[in-house]
Amino acid sequence: MLGLVIVSMLLIGLAQATRLLDPVRGWLLTLLTPVTVIAESPWLLGRSLSQTMATREQIDARNGVLERENLELSHLAQQYRVLRAENDRLLALVGSRSRLPAEVLAAEIIGVVPTVNTLQVIIDKGVNAGVTEGNAVIDSEGLFGQVIELGQFTSRVLLVADKDHAVPVEVNRNAVRSVAGGSGRIDRLELEFVPVTTDIKVGDLLVTSGLGGRFPRGYPVGTVQAVSIDPNASFAVVTVLPAAQLDRSRHVLVVVGEPTPTTLEHTLVPAEAIANEARRTGDGPRDETSSNPAPSAAAGRVE
Amino acid sequence: MNPFRGGWFIAFTLFVALVLTVLHLPEWLPQWLGWFRPHWTVVFVFFWVLHLPHRLGLIWAWALGLLVDVLLADPLGLNAMILAGVTYVTWNLYERLRMYSLVQQCVVVFALAGLAELVRAIAHLVLAGREVSPGIVACAVVSAVVWPFANALLQRLQQQFRVE
Repeated sequence: MLGLVIVSMLLIGLAQATRLLDPVRGWLLTLLTPVTVIAESPWLLGRSLSQTMATREQIDARNGVLERENLELSHLAQQYRVLRAENDRLLALVGSRSRLPAEVLAAEIIGVVPTVNTLQVIIDKGVNAGVTEGNAVIDSEGLFGQVIELGQFTSRVLLVADKDHAVPVEVNRNAVRSVAGGSGRIDRLELEFVPVTTDIKVGDLLVTSGLGGRFPRGYPVGTVQAVSIDPNASFAVVTVLPAAQLDRSRHVLVVVGEPTPTTLEHTLVPAEAIANEARRTGDGPRDETSSNPAPSAAAGRVE
Repeated sequence: MNPFRGGWFIAFTLFVALVLTVLHLPEWLPQWLGWFRPHWTVVFVFFWVLHLPHRLGLIWAWALGLLVDVLLADPLGLNAMILAGVTYVTWNLYERLRMYSLVQQCVVVFALAGLAELVRAIAHLVLAGREVSPGIVACAVVSAVVWPFANALLQRLQQQFRVE
């Protein structure tokens, strides 16, 4: 007994200090796939049943809604392509690498971790689908979480609202940077260490800033719900409503591409490309070191 | 006629315990209902060690705990230690515990589940800085309430499948 306790303690310590045990957890997660699937099967069954039992009218109505949505989105996508090309040209001009389009992978949530104060879910894509640790996960509304544990067919996602989670963000309106930490409650994030003088207002949209290199840039994280400033405290308390539907989404996207480089990162654009660009725009060749690309101003975000 | 003397049935019930551990209610119900989840693995392990102490040993309970660790996203080894502890205590006292009335057994289950949750909560507090929630007591109480039913059902099935 004493031996087992010592071994357990060692394991806990090892897991805490190093990442040596991650593959073991991965194997066990793969081994436990049946448990997860069976525990979730009532809900999976219910959903597929309600899909088969849907009436003709319901399907027609849904189809109509989706078609309308599709039209609106394709309209946005057309604009996006133009803006994107323009943005790439501008970025090339100031000597920054253009952002790579990230590849995404559709996944379905097949299990939740039922402990009250742990916000994690299990999705049905793992190593075999090309997911790697640290991949960002988004849903249709915004940033959902990140992959923290990999099995063969499943992986575990830590939600943005979990107490252990934090994501570098910036305010969409004025590019003020901050860090949005989870609160442990599903409907709330908190900005950490915001000086009382910072320009953040209720209703501001927060997007991922891409700093830290883990999350791709420009995904919505949430909107500011309340800013309370106590003159005696050093920091304002800013609460944020997550954009993603953390407790309702069933289908999510795993961003498996490289985290996109931020504009702070210089520069792999060949010199002649810049010169060509400059010639075309009728500008003289520019001295790159003096151009001083301010990260926020140069970004020209596409929304 | 009875391969492995019913060992497959023990394994099956432990599998069921794992499924029950992660089974969850629909999302639109309030989150605090999750506090009223019995400590299924403790209840099941307690049953088997109480009735068949020679079948479910420390190592098996410990290995089961490792699986629980992964399911509940706890540090690897935490639930393993807890379940091994439950097994050890039960194994040392099983002769006395069998003589107890059902109510007294409920109290023992309450203590074991409560201690298990307390150890978990302390580990979470120390390792991850999560505050201790009142869910510990709720979990222990519900586990004790569940015990008579689980005991009756499992005992019946044990006789049916001749696990010995």
